Amino acid sequence: MKAKQYLLVIAVLLTLPFAALAQSSPAQPGQAAPVEVKIDNFSFSPGTVTVRVGSTVRWTNRDDIPHTVVSDNEIFKSKTLDTDEQYSYTFANPGTYDYFCSIHPKMTGKVVVQ
Amino acid sequence: MSKKIEPTLVFAGAKDVIEFDHHHDGIDRRGFLKCMAWAGAGTYCVMQGGVLHSYALGGLGGHKPKGDLSFVQISDSHMGFNKPANPDVTATLQAAIDKINALPQAPTFLLHTGDITHLSKPGEFDTVQQMLKGLKTGDHFFVPGEHDVLNDDGAQYRERFAKGSRGSGWYSFDKSGVHFVGLVNVMNLKAGGLGSLGKEQLEWMEKDVKHLSKSTPIVVFTHIPLWSVYPEWGWATDDSAQALGSLKKFGSVTVLNGHIHQTMRKVEGNVTFHTAMSTAFPQPAPGSAPSPGPMKVPEEKLRAVLGITDVNFVQGSHALAITDEALSGQ
Repeated sequence: MKAKQYLLVIAVLLTLPFAALAQSSPAQPGQAAPVEVKIDNFSFSPGTVTVRVGSTVRWTNRDDIPHTVVSDNEIFKSKTLDTDEQYSYTFANPGTYDYFCSIHPKMTGKVVVQ
Repeated sequence: MSKKIEPTLVFAGAKDVIEFDHHHDGIDRRGFLKCMAWAGAGTYCVMQGGVLHSYALGGLGGHKPKGDLSFVQISDSHMGFNKPANPDVTATLQAAIDKINALPQAPTFLLHTGDITHLSKPGEFDTVQQMLKGLKTGDHFFVPGEHDVLNDDGAQYRERFAKGSRGSGWYSFDKSGVHFVGLVNVMNLKAGGLGSLGKEQLEWMEKDVKHLSKSTPIVVFTHIPLWSVYPEWGWATDDSAQALGSLKKFGSVTVLNGHIHQTMRKVEGNVTFHTAMSTAFPQPAPGSAPSPGPMKVPEEKLRAVLGITDVNFVQGSHALAITDEALSGQ
Protein backbone atom coordinates (compact mmCIF):
# COMPACT_ATOMS: atom_id res chain seq x y z
CA MET A 1 0.00 0.00 0.00
CA LYS A 2 2.75 2.34 1.01
CA ALA A 3 4.80 1.69 -2.13
CA LYS A 4 1.70 2.35 -4.21
CA GLN A 5 1.24 5.74 -2.56
CA TYR A 6 4.85 6.63 -3.28
CA LEU A 7 4.37 5.68 -6.90
CA LEU A 8 1.29 7.87 -7.11
CA VAL A 9 3.15 10.84 -5.65
CA ILE A 10 6.02 10.35 -8.08
CA ALA A 11 3.62 10.04 -10.99
CA VAL A 12 1.88 13.27 -10.03
CA LEU A 13 5.16 15.12 -9.53
CA LEU A 14 6.34 14.05 -12.96
CA THR A 15 3.33 15.70 -14.55
CA LEU A 16 3.97 19.00 -12.85
CA PRO A 17 5.91 21.69 -14.73
CA PHE A 18 9.11 22.95 -13.21
CA ALA A 19 7.52 26.12 -11.84
CA ALA A 20 4.95 24.12 -9.97
CA LEU A 21 7.61 21.78 -8.61
CA ALA A 22 9.67 24.66 -7.33
CA GLN A 23 6.67 26.10 -5.56
CA SER A 24 5.39 22.85 -4.13
CA SER A 25 5.99 22.23 -0.47
CA PRO A 26 5.58 18.88 1.29
CA ALA A 27 2.47 20.21 3.05
CA GLN A 28 -0.83 18.36 3.46
CA PRO A 29 -2.89 17.81 0.33
CA GLY A 30 -4.99 20.89 -0.39
CA GLN A 31 -2.61 23.14 1.51
CA ALA A 32 0.22 23.15 -1.02
CA ALA A 33 1.60 26.52 -2.06
CA PRO A 34 -0.23 27.90 -5.06
CA VAL A 35 1.21 27.46 -8.50
CA GLU A 36 2.39 30.88 -9.62
CA VAL A 37 1.68 32.54 -12.96
CA LYS A 38 3.24 35.94 -13.57
CA ILE A 39 1.70 38.56 -15.82
CA ASP A 40 4.61 40.40 -17.36
CA ASN A 41 4.99 42.36 -20.60
CA PHE A 42 1.41 41.61 -21.65
CA SER A 43 1.80 37.83 -21.36
CA PHE A 44 1.09 35.00 -18.94
CA SER A 45 4.19 33.15 -17.83
CA PRO A 46 4.31 30.23 -17.97
CA GLY A 47 1.66 30.24 -20.66
CA THR A 48 0.57 26.70 -19.74
CA VAL A 49 0.63 25.22 -16.25
CA THR A 50 -0.26 21.65 -15.42
CA VAL A 51 -1.55 21.00 -11.89
CA ARG A 52 -3.32 18.26 -9.94
CA VAL A 53 -6.97 18.42 -8.98
CA GLY A 54 -7.43 20.61 -5.91
CA SER A 55 -4.47 22.84 -6.72
CA THR A 56 -4.62 26.59 -6.52
CA VAL A 57 -3.14 28.76 -9.25
CA ARG A 58 -2.21 32.31 -8.32
CA TRP A 59 -1.72 35.06 -10.91
CA THR A 60 0.30 38.20 -10.11
CA ASN A 61 0.21 41.27 -12.35
CA ARG A 62 3.68 42.75 -12.69
CA ASP A 63 2.80 45.19 -15.49
CA ASP A 64 2.14 48.91 -15.15
CA ILE A 65 -1.15 48.26 -16.91
CA PRO A 66 -4.16 46.43 -15.43
CA HIS A 67 -5.08 42.96 -16.64
CA THR A 68 -7.71 40.33 -15.93
CA VAL A 69 -7.79 36.54 -15.82
CA VAL A 70 -10.97 35.18 -17.40
CA SER A 71 -11.59 31.60 -18.54
CA ASP A 72 -13.03 31.33 -22.04
CA ASN A 73 -16.27 29.87 -20.67
CA GLU A 74 -16.21 32.20 -17.64
CA ILE A 75 -15.81 29.37 -15.12
CA PHE A 76 -13.42 31.71 -13.36
CA LYS A 77 -13.13 35.46 -13.77
CA SER A 78 -10.95 37.85 -11.80
CA LYS A 79 -11.75 41.44 -11.14
CA THR A 80 -9.35 43.92 -12.73
CA LEU A 81 -5.84 43.40 -11.36
CA ASP A 82 -3.80 46.56 -10.99
CA THR A 83 -0.01 46.41 -10.64
CA ASP A 84 1.09 43.76 -8.08
CA GLU A 85 -2.46 42.62 -7.41
CA GLN A 86 -3.16 38.88 -7.34
CA TYR A 87 -5.95 36.49 -8.17
CA SER A 88 -6.22 32.86 -7.09
CA TYR A 89 -8.47 30.06 -8.24
CA THR A 90 -8.63 26.48 -6.97
CA PHE A 91 -9.31 23.84 -9.58
CA ALA A 92 -11.67 21.20 -8.19
CA ASN A 93 -12.20 19.31 -11.47
CA PRO A 94 -9.83 17.87 -14.04
CA GLY A 95 -9.80 19.39 -17.50
CA THR A 96 -8.16 21.98 -19.71
CA TYR A 97 -9.00 25.56 -18.88
CA ASP A 98 -8.18 28.16 -21.54
CA TYR A 99 -8.18 31.71 -20.27
CA PHE A 100 -7.36 35.24 -21.46
CA CYS A 101 -7.16 38.86 -20.38
CA SER A 102 -10.53 40.39 -21.21
CA ILE A 103 -8.88 43.83 -21.53
CA HIS A 104 -6.12 42.63 -23.87
CA PRO A 105 -7.59 39.52 -25.50
CA LYS A 106 -4.37 38.74 -27.38
CA MET A 107 -3.07 37.58 -23.99
CA THR A 108 -4.02 33.93 -23.56
CA GLY A 109 -3.01 31.09 -21.25
CA LYS A 110 -3.97 27.58 -20.23
CA VAL A 111 -4.32 25.55 -17.05
CA VAL A 112 -4.32 21.76 -17.42
CA VAL A 113 -5.78 20.03 -14.36
CA GLN A 114 -5.07 16.32 -13.99
CA MET B 1 -17.59 62.75 -57.18
CA SER B 2 -14.05 62.20 -56.03
CA LYS B 3 -11.86 60.09 -58.26
CA LYS B 4 -10.33 56.86 -57.09
CA ILE B 5 -6.91 57.47 -55.64
CA GLU B 6 -4.36 54.82 -54.77
CA PRO B 7 -3.57 54.43 -51.10
CA THR B 8 -1.00 57.01 -50.17
CA LEU B 9 0.99 57.40 -47.03
CA VAL B 10 2.38 60.83 -46.39
CA PHE B 11 4.43 61.75 -43.39
CA ALA B 12 6.19 65.00 -42.72
CA GLY B 13 8.82 65.77 -40.17
CA ALA B 14 10.71 68.87 -39.18
CA LYS B 15 13.52 67.99 -41.55
CA ASP B 16 12.15 65.79 -44.25
CA VAL B 17 9.03 64.97 -46.18
CA ILE B 18 8.33 61.40 -47.12
CA GLU B 19 5.75 60.38 -49.60
CA PHE B 20 5.38 56.68 -50.06
CA ASP B 21 2.75 55.21 -52.28
CA HIS B 22 1.85 51.65 -51.69
CA HIS B 23 -0.73 49.51 -53.34
CA HIS B 24 -1.53 47.05 -50.61
CA ASP B 25 -3.56 47.08 -47.46
CA GLY B 26 -0.44 46.24 -45.45
CA ILE B 27 1.57 48.51 -43.26
CA ASP B 28 4.46 50.56 -44.48
CA ARG B 29 7.05 49.93 -41.84
CA ARG B 30 9.49 52.51 -43.16
CA GLY B 31 6.76 55.10 -42.89
CA PHE B 32 6.00 54.03 -39.34
CA LEU B 33 9.53 54.54 -38.18
CA LYS B 34 9.76 57.94 -39.78
CA CYS B 35 6.42 58.78 -38.26
CA MET B 36 7.73 57.92 -34.84
CA ALA B 37 10.66 60.20 -35.34
CA TRP B 38 8.41 63.22 -35.48
CA ALA B 39 5.64 62.16 -33.12
CA GLY B 40 4.96 65.14 -30.97
CA ALA B 41 6.91 67.62 -33.03
CA GLY B 42 3.74 69.40 -34.15
CA THR B 43 2.32 68.58 -37.54
CA TYR B 44 -0.09 70.27 -39.88
CA CYS B 45 -2.18 67.99 -42.07
CA VAL B 46 -4.61 68.72 -44.85
CA MET B 47 -6.66 66.12 -46.60
CA GLN B 48 -7.86 66.89 -50.09
CA GLY B 49 -9.52 64.49 -52.46
CA GLY B 50 -8.42 61.55 -50.37
CA VAL B 51 -4.75 62.44 -50.09
CA LEU B 52 -3.28 63.73 -46.88
CA HIS B 53 -0.52 66.29 -46.94
CA SER B 54 1.29 67.06 -43.75
CA TYR B 55 3.94 69.60 -42.86
CA ALA B 56 5.90 70.45 -39.76
CA LEU B 57 4.22 73.30 -37.93
CA GLY B 58 7.42 75.32 -37.87
CA GLY B 59 7.51 75.46 -41.66
CA LEU B 60 4.15 77.16 -42.01
CA GLY B 61 5.20 80.61 -40.88
CA GLY B 62 2.50 80.67 -38.24
CA HIS B 63 -0.29 79.82 -40.66
CA LYS B 64 -3.09 77.90 -39.00
CA PRO B 65 -5.98 76.32 -40.83
CA LYS B 66 -9.25 78.18 -40.45
CA GLY B 67 -12.62 76.64 -41.17
CA ASP B 68 -16.35 76.59 -40.61
CA LEU B 69 -16.02 73.89 -38.03
CA SER B 70 -13.17 73.36 -35.68
CA PHE B 71 -12.97 70.70 -33.00
CA VAL B 72 -10.28 69.19 -30.87
CA GLN B 73 -9.51 65.58 -30.04
CA ILE B 74 -7.80 64.40 -26.89
CA SER B 75 -7.25 60.81 -25.87
CA ASP B 76 -5.94 58.35 -23.33
CA SER B 77 -5.88 60.55 -20.24
CA HIS B 78 -5.57 57.45 -17.99
CA MET B 79 -6.59 59.38 -14.88
CA GLY B 80 -5.30 57.38 -11.91
CA PHE B 81 -2.11 56.15 -13.61
CA ASN B 82 0.86 56.94 -11.36
CA LYS B 83 3.77 54.85 -12.60
CA PRO B 84 7.22 56.15 -13.65
CA ALA B 85 6.17 56.77 -17.28
CA ASN B 86 4.16 59.71 -15.87
CA PRO B 87 3.61 60.08 -12.13
CA ASP B 88 1.37 63.13 -12.66
CA VAL B 89 -1.25 62.55 -15.36
CA THR B 90 -3.39 65.30 -13.82
CA ALA B 91 -0.74 67.90 -14.63
CA THR B 92 -0.40 66.78 -18.24
CA LEU B 93 -4.19 66.68 -18.77
CA GLN B 94 -4.29 70.21 -17.37
CA ALA B 95 -1.55 71.20 -19.82
CA ALA B 96 -3.69 69.78 -22.64
CA ILE B 97 -6.70 71.77 -21.43
CA ASP B 98 -4.57 74.94 -21.28
CA LYS B 99 -3.33 74.24 -24.79
CA ILE B 100 -6.89 73.91 -26.09
CA ASN B 101 -7.96 77.10 -24.34
CA ALA B 102 -5.06 78.90 -26.01
CA LEU B 103 -5.93 77.81 -29.58
CA PRO B 104 -6.34 80.81 -31.93
CA GLN B 105 -9.74 79.56 -33.07
CA ALA B 106 -11.82 78.25 -30.18
CA PRO B 107 -12.94 74.70 -31.05
CA THR B 108 -16.69 74.10 -31.38
CA PHE B 109 -16.44 70.95 -29.30
CA LEU B 110 -14.14 68.35 -27.80
CA LEU B 111 -13.85 64.68 -28.70
CA HIS B 112 -12.27 62.31 -26.18
CA THR B 113 -11.38 59.00 -27.79
CA GLY B 114 -11.26 56.89 -24.65
CA ASP B 115 -9.22 55.65 -21.73
CA ILE B 116 -10.46 58.66 -19.85
CA THR B 117 -9.49 56.79 -16.67
CA HIS B 118 -6.95 54.10 -15.87
CA LEU B 119 -9.10 51.83 -13.68
CA SER B 120 -12.71 53.02 -14.16
CA LYS B 121 -12.79 54.27 -10.56
CA PRO B 122 -15.50 56.83 -9.71
CA GLY B 123 -12.87 59.19 -8.29
CA GLU B 124 -10.90 59.05 -11.55
CA PHE B 125 -13.98 59.90 -13.61
CA ASP B 126 -14.83 62.68 -11.14
CA THR B 127 -11.38 64.26 -11.50
CA VAL B 128 -11.56 64.33 -15.32
CA GLN B 129 -15.12 65.70 -15.35
CA GLN B 130 -14.11 68.41 -12.89
CA MET B 131 -11.03 69.33 -14.92
CA LEU B 132 -12.93 69.48 -18.22
CA LYS B 133 -15.14 72.17 -16.69
CA GLY B 134 -12.10 74.40 -17.09
CA LEU B 135 -12.34 74.10 -20.89
CA LYS B 136 -13.64 77.11 -22.74
CA THR B 137 -15.12 74.61 -25.17
CA GLY B 138 -18.41 73.52 -23.65
CA ASP B 139 -19.60 70.63 -25.78
CA HIS B 140 -17.85 67.29 -25.13
CA PHE B 141 -18.27 63.92 -26.84
CA PHE B 142 -16.74 60.66 -25.67
CA VAL B 143 -16.18 57.07 -26.66
CA PRO B 144 -14.92 54.56 -24.09
CA GLY B 145 -11.53 52.89 -23.98
CA GLU B 146 -11.07 49.46 -22.45
CA HIS B 147 -9.92 51.17 -19.24
CA ASP B 148 -13.28 52.94 -18.88
CA VAL B 149 -15.48 49.84 -18.87
CA LEU B 150 -13.68 47.68 -16.28
CA ASN B 151 -15.74 45.54 -13.93
CA ASP B 152 -19.17 46.98 -14.85
CA ASP B 153 -19.37 46.57 -18.66
CA GLY B 154 -19.33 50.32 -19.02
CA ALA B 155 -22.47 51.14 -16.99
CA GLN B 156 -20.75 53.95 -15.11
CA TYR B 157 -19.13 55.31 -18.27
CA ARG B 158 -22.51 55.51 -20.06
CA GLU B 159 -24.21 57.11 -17.08
CA ARG B 160 -21.59 59.86 -17.05
CA PHE B 161 -20.66 60.34 -20.72
CA ALA B 162 -23.07 58.64 -23.08
CA LYS B 163 -26.62 59.18 -21.86
CA GLY B 164 -29.08 58.54 -24.64
CA SER B 165 -26.60 56.47 -26.62
CA ARG B 166 -27.42 53.05 -28.04
CA GLY B 167 -26.18 49.60 -27.11
CA SER B 168 -22.86 49.76 -25.30
CA GLY B 169 -22.60 53.53 -25.97
CA TRP B 170 -22.60 54.31 -29.68
CA TYR B 171 -24.28 57.36 -31.24
CA SER B 172 -24.06 59.89 -34.05
CA PHE B 173 -24.61 63.63 -34.44
CA ASP B 174 -24.30 66.38 -37.04
CA LYS B 175 -22.31 69.61 -36.86
CA SER B 176 -22.01 72.18 -39.65
CA GLY B 177 -22.91 69.62 -42.30
CA VAL B 178 -20.42 67.02 -41.05
CA HIS B 179 -21.80 63.70 -39.77
CA PHE B 180 -20.02 62.31 -36.70
CA VAL B 181 -20.28 58.67 -35.63
CA GLY B 182 -18.98 57.57 -32.21
CA LEU B 183 -18.36 53.82 -32.03
CA VAL B 184 -17.50 51.43 -29.18
CA ASN B 185 -14.95 48.70 -29.94
CA VAL B 186 -13.72 47.77 -26.46
CA MET B 187 -16.59 45.57 -25.25
CA ASN B 188 -17.18 41.81 -25.33
CA LEU B 189 -13.67 41.10 -26.56
CA LYS B 190 -13.02 37.46 -27.44
CA ALA B 191 -9.99 35.38 -26.43
CA GLY B 192 -7.21 35.79 -28.96
CA GLY B 193 -9.12 38.55 -30.77
CA LEU B 194 -8.82 42.28 -31.39
CA GLY B 195 -11.09 45.26 -30.86
CA SER B 196 -14.68 44.46 -31.76
CA LEU B 197 -17.71 46.44 -32.90
CA GLY B 198 -20.22 43.60 -33.06
CA LYS B 199 -23.14 42.82 -35.33
CA GLU B 200 -25.70 45.05 -33.62
CA GLN B 201 -23.51 48.14 -33.82
CA LEU B 202 -22.53 47.47 -37.42
CA GLU B 203 -26.16 47.13 -38.43
CA TRP B 204 -27.02 50.35 -36.62
CA MET B 205 -24.16 52.18 -38.34
CA GLU B 206 -25.20 51.03 -41.79
CA LYS B 207 -28.70 52.38 -41.21
CA ASP B 208 -27.37 55.55 -39.60
CA VAL B 209 -25.42 56.64 -42.70
CA LYS B 210 -27.72 55.18 -45.34
CA HIS B 211 -29.89 58.29 -45.77
CA LEU B 212 -26.94 60.69 -46.04
CA SER B 213 -25.84 62.10 -49.38
CA LYS B 214 -22.48 60.87 -50.62
CA SER B 215 -21.05 64.38 -50.40
CA THR B 216 -21.57 64.50 -46.63
CA PRO B 217 -18.20 64.51 -44.87
CA ILE B 218 -18.07 61.70 -42.32
CA VAL B 219 -15.98 61.60 -39.15
CA VAL B 220 -15.87 58.28 -37.30
CA PHE B 221 -14.26 58.25 -33.86
CA THR B 222 -13.57 55.21 -31.73
CA HIS B 223 -10.87 54.09 -29.29
CA ILE B 224 -9.00 51.19 -30.90
CA PRO B 225 -7.78 51.93 -34.45
CA LEU B 226 -10.09 50.85 -37.27
CA TRP B 227 -7.08 49.98 -39.40
CA SER B 228 -4.54 47.29 -38.87
CA VAL B 229 -1.80 49.23 -37.07
CA TYR B 230 -0.20 46.24 -35.32
CA PRO B 231 -2.47 43.27 -34.61
CA GLU B 232 0.29 41.50 -32.66
CA TRP B 233 -0.28 44.09 -29.93
CA GLY B 234 -4.03 44.20 -30.39
CA TRP B 235 -3.81 47.49 -32.30
CA ALA B 236 -6.61 46.73 -34.75
CA THR B 237 -10.33 45.93 -34.83
CA ASP B 238 -11.62 42.55 -35.97
CA ASP B 239 -14.69 43.78 -37.86
CA SER B 240 -13.48 47.21 -38.98
CA ALA B 241 -13.73 46.24 -42.66
CA GLN B 242 -17.50 45.89 -42.31
CA ALA B 243 -17.76 49.31 -40.69
CA LEU B 244 -15.71 50.92 -43.44
CA GLY B 245 -17.72 49.02 -46.04
CA SER B 246 -20.82 51.00 -45.14
CA LEU B 247 -18.88 54.24 -45.78
CA LYS B 248 -17.74 53.40 -49.31
CA LYS B 249 -20.06 55.81 -51.07
CA PHE B 250 -18.80 58.87 -49.20
CA GLY B 251 -16.17 61.12 -50.74
CA SER B 252 -14.61 62.18 -47.44
CA VAL B 253 -14.24 59.89 -44.43
CA THR B 254 -11.98 60.70 -41.50
CA VAL B 255 -11.37 58.08 -38.80
CA LEU B 256 -10.02 59.34 -35.47
CA ASN B 257 -8.65 56.86 -32.94
CA GLY B 258 -6.62 56.73 -29.74
CA HIS B 259 -5.35 53.65 -27.86
CA ILE B 260 -1.78 53.53 -29.22
CA HIS B 261 -0.53 56.74 -27.56
CA GLN B 262 1.27 58.08 -30.63
CA THR B 263 0.31 59.80 -33.87
CA MET B 264 -0.04 57.72 -36.97
CA ARG B 265 -1.77 58.33 -40.26
CA LYS B 266 -2.76 56.39 -43.27
CA VAL B 267 -4.88 57.25 -46.29
CA GLU B 268 -6.73 54.59 -48.22
CA GLY B 269 -8.98 55.76 -51.01
CA ASN B 270 -11.58 58.05 -49.50
CA VAL B 271 -10.58 57.30 -45.90
CA THR B 272 -8.02 59.12 -43.77
CA PHE B 273 -7.05 57.30 -40.58
CA HIS B 274 -5.48 59.22 -37.75
CA THR B 275 -4.46 58.29 -34.22
CA ALA B 276 -3.88 60.87 -31.49
CA MET B 277 -1.24 61.24 -28.84
CA SER B 278 -2.12 60.49 -25.24
CA THR B 279 -2.29 63.18 -22.59
CA ALA B 280 -0.77 60.71 -20.09
CA PHE B 281 2.15 58.61 -21.36
CA PRO B 282 3.66 57.47 -24.66
CA GLN B 283 3.73 53.88 -25.91
CA PRO B 284 6.47 52.33 -28.04
CA ALA B 285 6.41 52.19 -31.84
CA PRO B 286 4.90 48.92 -33.09
CA GLY B 287 7.21 45.99 -32.45
CA SER B 288 9.99 48.17 -31.04
CA ALA B 289 9.64 46.86 -27.47
CA PRO B 290 8.75 43.52 -25.83
CA SER B 291 5.23 44.81 -25.12
CA PRO B 292 3.04 47.87 -25.67
CA GLY B 293 3.40 48.92 -22.01
CA PRO B 294 3.95 52.56 -21.00
CA MET B 295 7.21 53.96 -22.38
CA LYS B 296 9.48 55.82 -20.01
CA VAL B 297 11.14 58.81 -21.61
CA PRO B 298 13.40 61.35 -19.90
CA GLU B 299 11.25 63.68 -17.79
CA GLU B 300 12.13 66.75 -19.85
CA LYS B 301 10.97 64.96 -23.03
CA LEU B 302 7.62 63.75 -21.74
CA ARG B 303 5.54 66.72 -22.84
CA ALA B 304 6.99 66.50 -26.33
CA VAL B 305 5.33 63.10 -26.81
CA LEU B 306 1.97 63.99 -25.28
CA GLY B 307 -0.52 66.28 -26.94
CA ILE B 308 -3.79 67.25 -28.55
CA THR B 309 -5.24 67.05 -32.05
CA ASP B 310 -6.96 70.02 -33.64
CA VAL B 311 -9.29 69.40 -36.61
CA ASN B 312 -10.72 72.00 -38.98
CA PHE B 313 -13.33 71.61 -41.68
CA VAL B 314 -13.97 74.13 -44.44
CA GLN B 315 -17.48 73.93 -45.87
CA GLY B 316 -17.61 72.98 -49.52
CA SER B 317 -13.96 72.00 -49.75
CA HIS B 318 -14.39 68.49 -48.37
CA ALA B 319 -11.08 68.93 -46.62
CA LEU B 320 -10.37 68.29 -43.00
CA ALA B 321 -7.16 69.78 -41.69
CA ILE B 322 -5.68 67.77 -38.86
CA THR B 323 -3.06 69.38 -36.62
CA ASP B 324 -1.21 67.51 -33.89
CA GLU B 325 0.32 69.68 -31.24
CA ALA B 326 2.59 68.41 -28.49
CA LEU B 327 2.16 69.82 -25.00
CA SER B 328 5.63 71.30 -25.41
CA GLY B 329 8.41 71.48 -28.00
CA GLN B 330 11.33 69.07 -28.11
